[in-house]
Amino acid sequence: MRGLFAVIMLDLKRLWVDRVRLVSSLIQPLLYLFVLGSGLGASSKMGGSGYLHYIYPGVLGLSLLFSSVFAAMLIVFDRQIGFLKAVLVAPVPRVAIALGKVLSGAIQALVPATILLLLLPLLGMDLSLLALLELIGTMILAAVTFSALGVATAARFRSTTVFPIISNAVLLPMFFLSGALYPLDSAPVWLRWLAHIDPVAYAVDLMRGAILDRYAYPPLLSLAVLLGFIVVLTWLATRVFAAGEDT
Amino acid sequence: MPNMAEDEVSSHVPALEARGLHKRYGAVHALRGIDLAVWRGEIFALLGPNGAGKTTLFSIFATLLKPSEGTAHVFGFDSVRERVAVRRRMGIVFQEPALEGKLSVRDNLHLMGLFYGLSSRAARTRSAELLVTLGLEDVAAREAQKLSGGQKRRVELARALVTTPEVLFLDEATLGLDVDARRLFWAEVRRYVGAGGTVFLTTHYMDEAEPADRIALIDHGQIIALGSPQELKNRVGGGVLLLATDDDAQAAAWLREHGHHPEISARGVLLVEPEPAAVLPEVLAHLPVRTRRAEVHEPSLEDVFLKLTGRALEDGNGKPAPRAQGGQP
Repeated sequence: MRGLFAVIMLDLKRLWVDRVRLVSSLIQPLLYLFVLGSGLGASSKMGGSGYLHYIYPGVLGLSLLFSSVFAAMLIVFDRQIGFLKAVLVAPVPRVAIALGKVLSGAIQALVPATILLLLLPLLGMDLSLLALLELIGTMILAAVTFSALGVATAARFRSTTVFPIISNAVLLPMFFLSGALYPLDSAPVWLRWLAHIDPVAYAVDLMRGAILDRYAYPPLLSLAVLLGFIVVLTWLATRVFAAGEDT
Repeated sequence: MPNMAEDEVSSHVPALEARGLHKRYGAVHALRGIDLAVWRGEIFALLGPNGAGKTTLFSIFATLLKPSEGTAHVFGFDSVRERVAVRRRMGIVFQEPALEGKLSVRDNLHLMGLFYGLSSRAARTRSAELLVTLGLEDVAAREAQKLSGGQKRRVELARALVTTPEVLFLDEATLGLDVDARRLFWAEVRRYVGAGGTVFLTTHYMDEAEPADRIALIDHGQIIALGSPQELKNRVGGGVLLLATDDDAQAAAWLREHGHHPEISARGVLLVEPEPAAVLPEVLAHLPVRTRRAEVHEPSLEDVFLKLTGRALEDGNGKPAPRAQGGQP
């Protein structure tokens, strides 16, 4: 437990001293919301505020996805500068390192998402307390899933040159496939099939369900899928950390 | 009292022990059968040129790599199967800096204490102690990245000592430090050994291996000599005559013709003789090339390495000697 606490503490202290990263992470989701919301909304047949409400959970997903994966990518920096070795030789169970990284990434991603949450009343959405709690719970689950995805990926890389590739070739397609910006109802069948293996789709659907009470997937299925992703990805990351530098 | 039994057994086992250790990376055979025992309370140096396998052996003991064959034990614990037990007993100073530059010195130490299972309060107390003993109180609140090279290394040493390890691993730990910073660093290491600690260090600088109790010379993944610095120097036998000439190759050829066994290093032609001073006048009188400088000295570890491998460990500038480069694949 102490090992887990140490991993999380280390990352949060680093986030705290790195104010630039903290502030920019707060601004980013606002940009997504207003640029996407007003730009795309004006040309959408759902109408201005209707579309904003539709993409709000999508923007939450986008913010959570990018923040948590990029928090995880700091592992690669750590490996490059040799700092990761100092962590790996500590007598901390490897699963605590993996889980600590997953949770700290999730926390780091939830900070900017909270800003979006505070905007809810301003956007003219009133949620019941129950719906709000449901939304928060879903956000946490989504953050942990995306963070696990980031950690399982980042643990394998030695060079930061892969960041833009991951961003463009993995994250953006996952996001566009998720139905975050537009409903996939009218999308071709193969695209909808791809969406079925996209954890972002399930996470966004759960968040949208909490707000609009409209689900594309059964909520229990989504929950199970996200939990499954978390377990498998954390296990994969644990295996990489257990191999030490022998990879 | 199961702990007593464990202590009794473990006080007879070496601090570090390698048996038949091999490591292959694909086609590269980095370690070729290492057998080694490091005793408690000694400073043990692994000395060899870059690429000799030092860091590989070091990383296996430190649980970062698995051997391809053979076993490594730290205080009787297997470095693969009992990694957590090994990790609890060691502190490491790596070749590359392993501090979080944006955090203060104090935070760096505190966090490492947490990683080693100390409570937050215990970690704080221990860091404060170390900051005092290592003379780092004044910089405790400073960001680690703003320290001088010597200060950083001392913080790294403090970081390795936070957990009061039984063995301290130093991987080229004073690389790039000036003489004063190196001396300060070593004073702390000796204090640690004085308190009962064991030190295992790697280096390719002979003067860094000199303070060790025992030295293993490693080359091409094999230990080619092992002993105290004096024992190793005795292997050379007698003394060393070093000649800097206008044409070292020609000088060496002439010496070879006249029954000597010269080696060429970046410093000049090297002769190992039982009585070097006695040979000197005759050599100087008859050598067909001009001698710019001649010196007689006790064998250094550098001479030992050159004698055993025919290659230089390093030259005076810290750059590999031309022949050492030729020996690399």
